[in-house]
Amino acid sequence: MRQLTTDIRSMARKLLQEKKVQVVIGFERGSMPLRSRPCFVRKEEEVDRLVWDGFCENTLAAYLPKRKEKTAIVAKGCDSRAVVELIKEKQVQRDQVILIGVPCRGMVDRSRVEARVTPGRILQAEEREDLLILKGSDFEEALSRSDFLHDSCKTCTHPNPVLHDLLAGESLDEKNQDSFSDIEIFDAMTPEERWSYLSKEVDKCIRCYACRNACPLCYCPECFVDASLPQWIGKSTDSSDTMIFHLMRAYHLAGRCVACGACERACPVGVDLRKLNRKLLKDVKDLFGYEAGLCLDEVSPLATFRPDDPEHFIVNP
Amino acid sequence: MSSPSKILKKDRLASFLERLLQERQVFAPVRKGEVILIREIDSPSQAVLEYRNAKESPKSVLFPQRETLFRYRAEKGKAEVDIPSGREQGRVVFGIRPCDARGLLLLDKVFGGDCRDPYYADKRANTVVVSLGCANPNPACFCLSMGGGPCSAEGSDLLLLDVGDRYVAEAGSEKGTALLEDEAFEKVDEETVALAEKVKRESKASMKPVALKEKLEEQLERLFNDPVWKDLTESCLGCGICTYLCPTCHCFDLCDEAAGTTGERIRVWDSCQFPLFTQQASGFNPRPTVKERFRQRIMHKFSYLPETQAMPGCVGCGRCVTECPVNLDIREVVTSLSEGNAR
Amino acid sequence: MRRMAQSSTWEPKIVAFLCNWCSYAGADLAGTSRIQYPPNVRIIRLPCSGRVNPFFILSSLQKGVDGVLVSGCHPGECHYLTGNYSARRKFALLKSLLEFAGVEEGRVQFSWVSASEGVRFARLIGKVTARIKILGPSKKLVKTPARGPFHAAVND
Repeated sequence: MRQLTTDIRSMARKLLQEKKVQVVIGFERGSMPLRSRPCFVRKEEEVDRLVWDGFCENTLAAYLPKRKEKTAIVAKGCDSRAVVELIKEKQVQRDQVILIGVPCRGMVDRSRVEARVTPGRILQAEEREDLLILKGSDFEEALSRSDFLHDSCKTCTHPNPVLHDLLAGESLDEKNQDSFSDIEIFDAMTPEERWSYLSKEVDKCIRCYACRNACPLCYCPECFVDASLPQWIGKSTDSSDTMIFHLMRAYHLAGRCVACGACERACPVGVDLRKLNRKLLKDVKDLFGYEAGLCLDEVSPLATFRPDDPEHFIVNP
Repeated sequence: MSSPSKILKKDRLASFLERLLQERQVFAPVRKGEVILIREIDSPSQAVLEYRNAKESPKSVLFPQRETLFRYRAEKGKAEVDIPSGREQGRVVFGIRPCDARGLLLLDKVFGGDCRDPYYADKRANTVVVSLGCANPNPACFCLSMGGGPCSAEGSDLLLLDVGDRYVAEAGSEKGTALLEDEAFEKVDEETVALAEKVKRESKASMKPVALKEKLEEQLERLFNDPVWKDLTESCLGCGICTYLCPTCHCFDLCDEAAGTTGERIRVWDSCQFPLFTQQASGFNPRPTVKERFRQRIMHKFSYLPETQAMPGCVGCGRCVTECPVNLDIREVVTSLSEGNAR
Repeated sequence: MRRMAQSSTWEPKIVAFLCNWCSYAGADLAGTSRIQYPPNVRIIRLPCSGRVNPFFILSSLQKGVDGVLVSGCHPGECHYLTGNYSARRKFALLKSLLEFAGVEEGRVQFSWVSASEGVRFARLIGKVTARIKILGPSKKLVKTPARGPFHAAVND
C-alpha cells in the first residue's frame, strides 16, 4: 500500500510537471479514521496529499462528465469500467483523460468495522498486508481485511483497470467468477416475499439522491425525478413513488452499470440497492451476452439489437 | 439556572414509558435493520437507549418528509377542501440527544414567530422533549463549539443523564418539571449529583474543539467571492444527505398530487443542494454549480441565521460529517474560512 | 383508483399501447369485422412500439390500472424499420425487472400483432384479460389516493 502511494504520487508529480494534465483526481486522507476521500491536486507541491489505502472507496469517475480540464484520475477497476462507458456515451473524451490505473484488492466497509468496534473508540486505522489494525486509547485489534470488504468488492470480477495509461502496482489474479447466486436465491422466493422485502428496503429511503449523485453513470442534466412536464413520480417518500424511483434508476442503468457499488455506499440509511442493479446486470448478461465497461468497441445493449433477440416473453394468443 | 433534578432508576424506565404511552404518542430511537431511527413506539421495549445517535434527526417527528397540507375534491365548479386537524393527542420525543433537542429550537424560530406555520407549531405545542445526555460523544461531534454541549438541557423539557444504574433527570422547562411528578422519579442524593457532574465534565473534555473566529458571520461575508470556495467544494456530489439528516435544515417544496378530480397539496423536504432549488422558469440558475450551492449552505448556517435568528444553523451533531459520501467535513470548511482561507 | 373490495362484479381495467401501423390497425380490423373481445381494454395509439417509455407502463400501474399491454409490428415488419427491435430489448428487461420486484406475472405483457390480424388481436385481448381477471386488482404499485372524508367518494 505504501509503495502504491509513492508510485501514485510520483506519477502525479510527473504529469503535472510536464503539464500533461491540469488536475489529478485521487484520494487523500479523510478527517476521521477509516476514511479517505476524493481530492483534486493542481499543484506539484500538493502531490503529497495523495494516498492509496483500503478506504479509497469512492468512484472517482463520477467527477469526469462535463469536466473541461485535461484530467488524470486514479482509477480502480470499477473506475476504469465507468470511464469506458462514459467514453462510449461521449461524456468523456479519451484524449482528455489520463488513467492512473491501480489494481484493487477491494475496499473496506467501515460500517462493518464499526459494528465490530465502537466507532468512538477507534483513533487510528492502519493497513499492513492483509491486516487492518485498529488502535484506540485502550485497545489494539488486528482484523483480517478480507472479512470486512464491501459487498460490491466481494463480487468484483475485474479488479484490474481495463483501461489505463499508467499502472501503479501489479495486476491481480482475476479468478473471481460472479455466479449471481444471490439473485437466483432471491428469484426463488415468491413474488409476495420479494415485494415485501423490496418494499421494506425502499421504505427506508429518504429521497436524498445520494445514490444517483454518487453514480458515475448518472449524469443527466435533468433527472427523471425532476421532470415536471410530465411529472413521472412525486417528490415525497410515498412508497409507490419511491419504489418506482428505485426501479427506474436501476432500469436506466441497464447495460450501463459497472457494479462499482458507489450507490450502496453513499446511501445513509442502508437501502439494498445492489439487489435491483445486480438483477439487471445478470439479465443483460443472460439475454444479450454483455457486460458493461469491458470494451470500448462493444456497443451498449440498448443501443443495438439482433434480429434473433430473445422473445420468450411475447404473448402468443 | 438551578433546575430541579431527580433520579430515575433504570428498572423504572419501562413503567414510566408505559404511562407516557397511555396518553400520548411516544417517539424514540428504534433499530431498523442496521440503523437507528426515531420512530413512534407502542411499547417501551422498542426504544433503544444504548446508542450513539440516530441516523436521521428527530425533525421528522414535527416536520415530516411528506405532510399533507390539505385535500380537495372538485365537482361541477365547486371545490371542497379538507385541512387535516391538528393532533389533539400529545407527543413525547424520548431519548434524543441534546444536540437534536437544540436543533428543534432553531426550527421553532423558523416555523414560529411572525410567520407561524400551524403544521409544525400545533404539533410542537403539544410536544414534550426528553433527551438523553451524551457520556461518550462521537469523534465527529462538535456541539460544544456550536454553543451547545453533550449534556446541555437547552431545548429539552427533561434531560436524562446515564450514571450507571440510574439516570439523573434534570428539568429544562415547566413541562419537564411536571414530568418529574411521575412516581418513577425519586429524590436525588449528593453522591449521584457528584457522579453526574463527573460524567458531564469528562464528556465535555473528550470533545475536540472547532476553532472559530469571533465574528465568523462577517468573515464569511467578506469571503463570499473568494476563490477558496472552489477548492473547498470541488468534491461535493450535490446530493441531499447533509441537508436531509441535519437537525436544523428546514427547506421545503410544495406540490400538488392530483388523482382525477381529487388530490392533495403536500409539503416535502427540499434541499439547497439540489440543482432545481434555485432554478428559475427562464432557465437561469443563480446557483448553477455545487460551489454556489455549498457556499449557500455555509452562509445560511453560519452567517445569515446567526444574524436573523441569533443562533447558528448548526448544532454540531456531526451527521453531515459522518454521512457525507466524500467526507466533506463542515468543521474543516468553517475552520478554513475562519482562518481567512489559509489551507 | 383503488377499489373498495374485490367483488365478483369487478372488471379489470387494462391499458394497451398499440403501434399505429400494425397493432392498432389490427385492432381496428377486429372492430370492423365485428369480432367480439372483452371490453376491458383502453387503447392508446402510438407511432411505434419503440415509442413506449417504461414510465408509461409504471405510471399506468401507479394510477391503478390492472394490466398493461404493449403491442407492435412483428420483427422485420416495423414501419420505422427497427423500432420494434429496440422495444423488444427494452421490454425484456423491464418485464424481468418488474416481475423480480414482485409484480405478478401477466400484469405487463408484450405481443406482436399485424394490421391483418384482427382475429389474433381479439384472441390476444381475451387471453390477457382472462389472465388479469385471475390475478385480481393490481395493488402493488398503486399510489394510495388521498385519504380522508373523500375517500369513500372516490369512484372509478
